[in-house]
Amino acid sequence: MPTVEYGGKTFTVDEDGFIDSFDNWNEEWVQLVKEAEGIDELTDEHWKTVQVLQDYYKKNGIAPMVRILSKVTGFKLKHIYELFPSGPGKGACKMAGLPKPTGCV
Amino acid sequence: MAFVSSGYNPAKPMENRITDIGPRKYDEFYPPVIKKNKGKWLYHEILQPGVLVHVAESGDEVYTVRVGGIRLMSVTLIREVCDIADKHCDGHLRFTTRNNIEFMVDSKDKVQPLIDDLESRKFKGGSFKFPVGGTGAGVTNIVHTQGWIHCHTPATDASGPVKATMDVLFDDFKNMRLPAHVRVSLACCLNMCGAVHCSDIAILGYHRKPPLMDHEYLDKMCEIPLAIASCPTAALKPGKVELADGTSVKSILVNEPRCMFCGNCYTMCPSMPLADTEGDGIVIMAGGKVSNRISAPKFSKVVVAFFPNEVPRWPQTTNCIKNMIEVYAADARKYERLGEWAERIGWERFFEKCELDFTHHLIDDFRDPAYYTWRQTTQFKF
Repeated sequence: MPTVEYGGKTFTVDEDGFIDSFDNWNEEWVQLVKEAEGIDELTDEHWKTVQVLQDYYKKNGIAPMVRILSKVTGFKLKHIYELFPSGPGKGACKMAGLPKPTGCV
Repeated sequence: MAFVSSGYNPAKPMENRITDIGPRKYDEFYPPVIKKNKGKWLYHEILQPGVLVHVAESGDEVYTVRVGGIRLMSVTLIREVCDIADKHCDGHLRFTTRNNIEFMVDSKDKVQPLIDDLESRKFKGGSFKFPVGGTGAGVTNIVHTQGWIHCHTPATDASGPVKATMDVLFDDFKNMRLPAHVRVSLACCLNMCGAVHCSDIAILGYHRKPPLMDHEYLDKMCEIPLAIASCPTAALKPGKVELADGTSVKSILVNEPRCMFCGNCYTMCPSMPLADTEGDGIVIMAGGKVSNRISAPKFSKVVVAFFPNEVPRWPQTTNCIKNMIEVYAADARKYERLGEWAERIGWERFFEKCELDFTHHLIDDFRDPAYYTWRQTTQFKF
């Protein structure tokens, strides 16, 4: 798999730019994804979303359903799209270091 | 080719972004005669295979010439379709729900030149580009899927078997000799995208081996609970696996006797691939329908447990389908769909007449509803 360098760190990613392993996530990764996803500025709301996704993934082993993400963060789906233009899967999950969404997407 | 920008600015992806505009409205593309007479059609007739006429209250007529579409087509071919539409139909055309192409003209004298033009066009290999047909009690286009062209879960190809099958059934595309229309569909795995579960004859890609486990990457690539919940027979459970280098990783354990090779877990988890050259092949199903005409809609039923993938012409599969249609054509009553015929004569007669082997694979064994597919009566034929 290809590697990308950012902020002095090297990340292994797949062809869609998802990180190879949740364990290799760090704060530089967030900055890297921020640029790739066209996000101007990281706000507390971005961090809160990432935090919720990571906590849920550590606890349950899966990414939360969109309804759960909305309920826990308090952000409606529309607002999640405003934060992450690619949406909760390709944007927020990628930034949080979760595995790439699967199924008939 | 060098990069040519469309005007999109990757540095500001949300700037000048147009979204949620939906499809173009259908009536922008109506031929004038359709627009004028919409909702005021009196009756229609099939003049000959592939040619329809609709007559409106105003006396206007619209003649439709239906030609086979290959569904997977190049822009070059679409441009040729547009050229034909420009030449004969004032630039209008439509695609049907079975991916055929329909050219419409507003008077009878325009029909024959259109048909002559369509039938004269062939590919270099010799096959018809636009064969006229697909109407009435015949075999029209095969609804199919992606296969090895584009999908990652198929057990067989789509475009290849469809071409092979339509070559065998081509006479029935151009004729209307059957008791009722026969819908043939193909899906390359049992996700069953399309219409295989409700078609007179269905071709379905099928695996026969359990997934190969890529334990090293599984926990990194997959959300384990999702893969476990994707299994219809609960053959998967979470577990720890020791890799060759001694590290212990979280993974999934497969109870192979419970696995029926559906491949749902691979859909959810890239580390559980199960495609296999010899193991994969085709299941044939029969007897489904969606219309409410006479009898209620039916699911198609498995009638052949397995044919191997025989690239590139799938002869066993096409022979079986051809034979089934010949027997149905000779034996069924007028208006009787294949499923109605099989249920009237009894499935034991269906297997006898079609000379299909009845194997234990065909007996339903999935959960409580399986019981209702067994015979709880003494009524049967020897």
